[in-house]
Amino acid sequence: MTALSQGDVPAASSPLLKTRGLLAMALAALLLGVAAPRLVSSQLMLSLATQAIFDALLATSVGFLVLQNGRVSFGQAAFFGLGGYAFGVLVARGLMAAELAVLTALALPTLVAFLLGLVFARIAGVAHAMLTLAVGQAFYEIAFRWRELAKGDDGMAFNLPPRIFGFDSSLLQDPSVMVVVAWTILVLALLGLALFANSRMGQIAAAVRDNAERARFIGHDTTIPPAIVYAISALLAAIAGLLQATYNGYIAPQMFHWSLSGSALIMAVVGGAQFILGPAIGAVCFFILKDFAGRFAEYWPAIVGSVLVIVTLVMPQGIVGLLKAGWFRMRRQA
Amino acid sequence: MSEAIAIQGIGIERRYGGFRALKGVDITVRRGEIRGLIGPNGAGKSTLIDVLSGRVRGQPGQVLIDGRDVSRLKPQERRRLGLARSFQRTNIFPMLSVEQQLRIASWAVAEAGVEEVMEELNLTALARMPAAEISYGDQRRLDLALALVGRPSVLLLDEPAAGLTVEESHGLATILRDLANRWNVTVLLVEHDMQVVFSICDGITVLHLGETLAEGNVAEIRADQRVVTAYLGTEA
Repeated sequence: MTALSQGDVPAASSPLLKTRGLLAMALAALLLGVAAPRLVSSQLMLSLATQAIFDALLATSVGFLVLQNGRVSFGQAAFFGLGGYAFGVLVARGLMAAELAVLTALALPTLVAFLLGLVFARIAGVAHAMLTLAVGQAFYEIAFRWRELAKGDDGMAFNLPPRIFGFDSSLLQDPSVMVVVAWTILVLALLGLALFANSRMGQIAAAVRDNAERARFIGHDTTIPPAIVYAISALLAAIAGLLQATYNGYIAPQMFHWSLSGSALIMAVVGGAQFILGPAIGAVCFFILKDFAGRFAEYWPAIVGSVLVIVTLVMPQGIVGLLKAGWFRMRRQA
Repeated sequence: MSEAIAIQGIGIERRYGGFRALKGVDITVRRGEIRGLIGPNGAGKSTLIDVLSGRVRGQPGQVLIDGRDVSRLKPQERRRLGLARSFQRTNIFPMLSVEQQLRIASWAVAEAGVEEVMEELNLTALARMPAAEISYGDQRRLDLALALVGRPSVLLLDEPAAGLTVEESHGLATILRDLANRWNVTVLLVEHDMQVVFSICDGITVLHLGETLAEGNVAEIRADQRVVTAYLGTEA
């Protein structure tokens, strides 16, 4: 198995070597992130990069569900929104300390997803997709209609407390700081997912994805491992939602909307949902494409849609799948 | 073979709507025995394996493993008690490598023995191959290997030789006989290849229309006129 993919043949290298390789890659990526604000002076560019990283986290959470559970979700924005709303509402109303609000904003979506996962894991195909869509839209409707919660469809701006975890919280709304924070979290999340995929629980979840009946008959529970994957996936989405809410100091029902879940799924497919790195790369490409198309055409979604159709037809395994195939071809020829 | 009972089904019933696929079947397999379960299509053989393995639950009848009532236990719980099965249709993990899926199987029952099982079933050379990319015969052996990891005490095999060539079937029969002896595994074998059944089974149970038609050793079954008429025919 290559370092960042699940469904391939295990490589001959030992788990220790693979782990060391992963750690080395992660360290290099972290250093690159720390250097970014020194290399890029434009605040606009840093702000765009920050938003792209939020998208990458959400896309990674959607892709991880496809990779580990073989399930497509159209409701992942529910956990993105829940993370943002839990933090925003708790802080705005002063219901608890900001640090506790952060923990609640991460724990609540994770727990909800685990409980839903116990049911969702038994449902496959279109029914699963529709169920996730329904759950996601239910959260959207609540946020949209419940004005007392966070001003309904107007959304709600809120101020951060002066310090969070001992740090000056205004720094979290500075793109040159947030880009490093978000990038660091993304890299650590990708590393964690790769380690999970290679762990016992990750491999059992992959076996359940492949053939749940056989997994039962070799002695494994087929509900808990997929539910844990749902929970991890929701945690990632919640982190993205929490970061975005903190960065903008603003929450709105659109954070729950199915179109956000759909965009994240498109990013995952474009990048290659069969690979842990794929959705994050897809998110960055999607973001650049969206920005580029938006400059030249009013109806830029049509351009993005056309590109998606082409990518799906030409690269069914996404950008990372194409790069991987090219890499193997080069190695064979060398 | 000892006199101790390894697995027992008592009064097993299975209904599909108004149709009774199993009509109160009793079956007993003693420790170390290889028992053949034969009969024409629709006799209820695979259904009986499904009930014994826990694929089908909540029907009248009792299933005992080593004297313990496991009727209410799920398949994974029965597996951890030493009851393993293979399937009529190849039932493996196509995206995982041969070794990876055997390793995953070992985590539920025993930490060791994966290399041994791969060696016994000639899968070692294929260890790193994704299961979807190996031949059908190799997939059948992998299916059997998944059941054998952890040396189960009872093995239910549903047509393990289905789709294999004559040579492959005989090779599989030899492996089964050998492993059952050396590992002291009790086997209940559903198989249509009578050469395989007659060559390795200690005893045979014949099902017909959801009921036990006959029981006995190979010679007794071959000589039983009811079995010849219902299933074997005059060429047996």
